[in-house]
Order: sequence, then C-alpha cells, then structure tokens
Amino acid sequence: MATDRNASGGGGAAARPLGPRARMFTLMVVRALTKRGSRLTVALGAIAVGAAVVFALTSLYFDISIKMSEELRTFGPNIIISPHVDEKQGGESRLADASLLESAAKSLPADRMVGATPYLYGVVRLDRGNAVLVGADMAAMRALAPYWQVDGGWIAASFDDRNAMVGRRLATSMGLKVGDPVTIVNRDRSTQASVTIKGIMDTGEAEDDQIFINLALAQKILNEPGKANFAMASIVADGAEADSLAASIGQRFPGIEARPIRKVSEADGQILGKIDGLMALVALIILVITTLCVNATLTAMVAERTPQIGLQKAIGASDGSIVAQFLAETALVCLVAVAIGIVGGFLLAQLLGQAVFSAWVTFRPGMVPLTLGLCLIAALAAAMLPIRGAVRVVPARVLRGE
Amino acid sequence: MAPMDGTAFAAVSDDAATTSAPIPNPSREVIGCDALSRHFGQVAALDDVTFRVGEGEFLAIMGPSGSGKTTLLNILSLLDAPTSGSYRLDGIETANLTEKDRVVIRREKIGLVFQQFHLIPYLSAVENVMLAQHYHSVADRDEALEALERVGLAERAGHLPSQLSGGEQQRVCIARALINAPALILADEPTGNLDADNERRVMKLLESLRAEGRTIVLVTHNPALGRQADRILRLEHGRKA
Repeated sequence: MATDRNASGGGGAAARPLGPRARMFTLMVVRALTKRGSRLTVALGAIAVGAAVVFALTSLYFDISIKMSEELRTFGPNIIISPHVDEKQGGESRLADASLLESAAKSLPADRMVGATPYLYGVVRLDRGNAVLVGADMAAMRALAPYWQVDGGWIAASFDDRNAMVGRRLATSMGLKVGDPVTIVNRDRSTQASVTIKGIMDTGEAEDDQIFINLALAQKILNEPGKANFAMASIVADGAEADSLAASIGQRFPGIEARPIRKVSEADGQILGKIDGLMALVALIILVITTLCVNATLTAMVAERTPQIGLQKAIGASDGSIVAQFLAETALVCLVAVAIGIVGGFLLAQLLGQAVFSAWVTFRPGMVPLTLGLCLIAALAAAMLPIRGAVRVVPARVLRGE
Repeated sequence: MAPMDGTAFAAVSDDAATTSAPIPNPSREVIGCDALSRHFGQVAALDDVTFRVGEGEFLAIMGPSGSGKTTLLNILSLLDAPTSGSYRLDGIETANLTEKDRVVIRREKIGLVFQQFHLIPYLSAVENVMLAQHYHSVADRDEALEALERVGLAERAGHLPSQLSGGEQQRVCIARALINAPALILADEPTGNLDADNERRVMKLLESLRAEGRTIVLVTHNPALGRQADRILRLEHGRKA
C-alpha cells in the first residue's frame, strides 16, 4: 500500500527493493521498443548491417594473414638457413652438417611449415658438358617450389637415387628429354652415378640451368658426406614474423644463421599491410554510416516521444532516468542487432573467404565481444545527441502542445 | 504532507462519500504565494499575485484565456519558476531549489491532472499508474490496480490508452495523480476535453478527494465547476481580479 511505499520511497534508494524497480524499468524499455515497429526495424537493420560487415571484415582481418601467407608460399621459400659466415675470416661460405641444418629448419613451428630442405651445390660433368648439380630433399622440393612447371614428373621420394630433374635451359642445351639416361661424374672423375631424367622444369630462375638429385646421392657424387651448403624453408609468416622466426634459429643454433628472403617476406608484409588497412578503412566507414543512420533514427524517435518525455519529467522522472531509459533502449536494440549481424557477418565472411582465398574463414569467438563493443560504441555515440535533446525537453511547454 | 495513510483511495469512487482520513488543518499552509510574477520578455504573464491555500482546501483558479492560469499552475507544479516573488510548497521555499530538488519535490508532493490526459501510449492503464509509483518509490501492481478500481476502471486496467474513452483516460490520470498520496493535487482543466457525463464523474472524484481532506487546486474556465470549490481565485491579465 501507499504507506509502505512512501515509507521506503522517502528514505532513499538504498532502502528500496531493486527487483520491482528493475522490472518496471525493463517493462518500459521493452514496451517502448516493441510498440515502435518501423523505427525499431530501421535502427535494428542499420546496426545489424554494421555488425555484419564489422564481424566479416575483422574475421577476415585475422584470417587473412594466414590465408595470404599460404597463397604467397607458392612463390617459394622465404627463410634461408646457413652456416655463420665470419667476415673477419674473408667471408667465405663453408659447408655445414646437413643434419644440423635440418634440425634448425625443423625447429620452426610445424603448423606453419610448408616445406624445408638442405641444399648441396657442386659442379659436375654430364655426358655433354659441365653443369651445376644440386642435391636436395626432392620429396620436400615439390612443396617448397610449387611454381615449377614440370614436364614429366617430380622425384617423389627422398631415397630415390635413380632419377634426376633437369632445368629447361640445361636440357635444351644438352638435348636431354624425359626418360633419357644421364651419367653424372665428379670433377676429379673419382665418383659417378647414372640416373634417368624424370622431369624437366621451367622455373624462370637459375634452376633452369641446373640438375637436381636427392641429397644423399649428391653428397656421394661430390664426396661431401653428410654436408650441405644451406637449407631453405617456406613458412606461413609475414615479414615481421619471418624476421622473428629467423632470429630465434640463430639463438638456438650457434654457428647457424637464418634470415628471411627479403623479396618474398617483405612482399608478404606489404601486401598484407595494404589489405589489412583497406579492411580497417571499410569497417570504419561502415561504422560511421551506421552511427549516422542510428543517430537519425533515434533523433526521430526522440522527437516523436517528446510529449511522453515531458510527461515523465512532469511526474517525477529525473534526467538520469530519462538518459538511462534511452541508453537501455539503444543498448537492447544493439544487442539484438549484433546477434543478427554476427550470424550474417559469419556468412558474409565465408562468401568473401571463398571468393578471394577459396577457403572457409574460421569462426573466432573473440570477434563476438569485439563486434559487440564496436557496435555499442557506435550506437551509444549515435544516441548522445538525441538523448541530450530528450534531457532538454521542457515539460511545461510540451504538455501544452508547444 | 497531506494525509498519506493506507486509506488514500478509500473515498475516491463515484459513490463514496465517507473517509477515515485525518481531519485536515486549514490553518496549515500548503501553498503560500507572495507577489508572484512571471515575465516572458516584456510580457507579464503573471503580475504580483499573492494568495494562500490551507490544508484540505479546494481552490479554483478561474479567468479568461491568457489571464495567467496555466502560468500560475506551472509555477505551482514546479514546472516553471517565477521571475520574482516567493512560492512556498508545504513549508518549503522553492526559490532557490535546484532542478533536481524540484523534480524530487514534484514527485513527492504533487499529483498532476492534465486537460489532455497525457498517458504513455505504449503502457496499459495500470502500467501508467505504476509509472508514477516507479518514479516516486517503487511500482506496486496491486496498489495500482486498487487505485484504478477506486476510480471505477478495474476492468480496463490492461487496456492501452488508445483503447480507452476520454473520460476513462482522465480517470487513469487521476488514479496516477493520487497513487503517491501527494500533499497537493493540481488539475489543469481536467474536464476540458470530456463530455457532460464524464465531466460529472471526474468532478465527483475531485469532490470525494476534497471530502477526504486533500488539498486541490483546479484551473477551469467553467463557472459551474468553479462553484464547487471552497474558494475561487480570479485572474485577469495576470493579476488577481
């Protein structure tokens, strides 16, 4: 009854039960929204579209580094691992244990590794002249150099000592064809091996003048057992990450140094940087448009409700309670819109992922609070001016119909 | 404050004539206005008006359009402030109150009834009454339903204002004005938009409130309604006639 309410009501908020107040507040907020179908739909739609774009772009933003790096890995290795060269001692390169180079390559994160192999170089004599012989893990080479255009086939196993692959220019100059036998002879003629040309490759680079065989066979022919000049690795990482991973190898393997191959890793970073920046810009523009749209809708809602705001103030609503009501209405619309927007945004991300990378975009739970936070900030920023207008309503005027 | 016991609505019904409220003390001042003036630029909407209203008194403010009735009512309801002069409400000097204090005093001590009803369109009748409770202290549906029952609208409690007639909407407004047992009820042309039947019902409600000992200030054009008050304050061109 009135007596009890007055006894508690006059004593300050601390003595008042929270439940009924919260219930009445919730009732007002929900009713105010649900009785305004068209306006609510506009605000809801604007925020949902904003949330969808923000969610899709941020999901892509965090996936794109990995997707783009994977794409760029088709351009070849991006880290070289070699014995440390002492400049004071003439700066001559020297051979290293192939097993040490392999260990260093294997220390890179396995989930980011595309492929790695040691390389051993030497000059040998073929049937029709000299050529550069390259020994490598030919099974790994296919992943490491997927851009090679190969006639015939790849050497599929790293223990295959009967086949070789020859660069196009070398094959042309020596009249070699797929299936031809070739004898590889050491320069001092102490060692030789007969192999069959399994594939002829076009690389557009120095490999077009070289002959490739598996590492163990090359070590045997060149009389360098267990040795290699360097190793190359292809990992999924952009420029800064490649720098960091290369530095970690140098720290873990004394006598070994690793460095990114700049032309590739820097290109990774530059392309990713530009795409990231573009997506951030698009997301920002969408958020600004969303803010303006929500602002226009809320301004119209406040104008429409001016008599009610005046009445609420006349019967005792404080400015704070008016502000709280509009903020709660905005936040509630935002929550519902973001929930819709996230579902739409995830679908949009899949469309973009498939269209650009032919890959599905991962659902990242962390994007949910991020999207919600950004949309809340945009919606509440949009609500500031309309709420200020609501607070400034003069009851005496609006209740007279002015 | 005026009587605020649990029988606040005991006499507020069409047929009610009895009350168990404490006997009001007319010598106790609820409204005290001294040399009250309100200027809008060069125009004096209210000029040097002095009067008092005692506890339990029913005052009618009358006068032609533009005489300052509404300006005076806005000041009395703390929706506006005088340019000069003094206004005491239930012993509180209002001149130096902050806007926040004025809001608090308005919800604690004043019940407002408007000519144009002014109900929240998306809240039902009972929820409109509960809204006044909410701003005053805490909403109590049972008490709000009781208030509606006593103005004869219990069966219409769940209806939206758009589903109520003008007379019913005005009775919801009266229930809302009374729900917090205010010291003062201010009614601005409460029958101005009603037909004769509803006018009679609303006036009967106000009479029963007067009988209960409520302090009521009624602004009206209607001489017949004015005659039902204990006293009439006539205004002309912003001054007491």
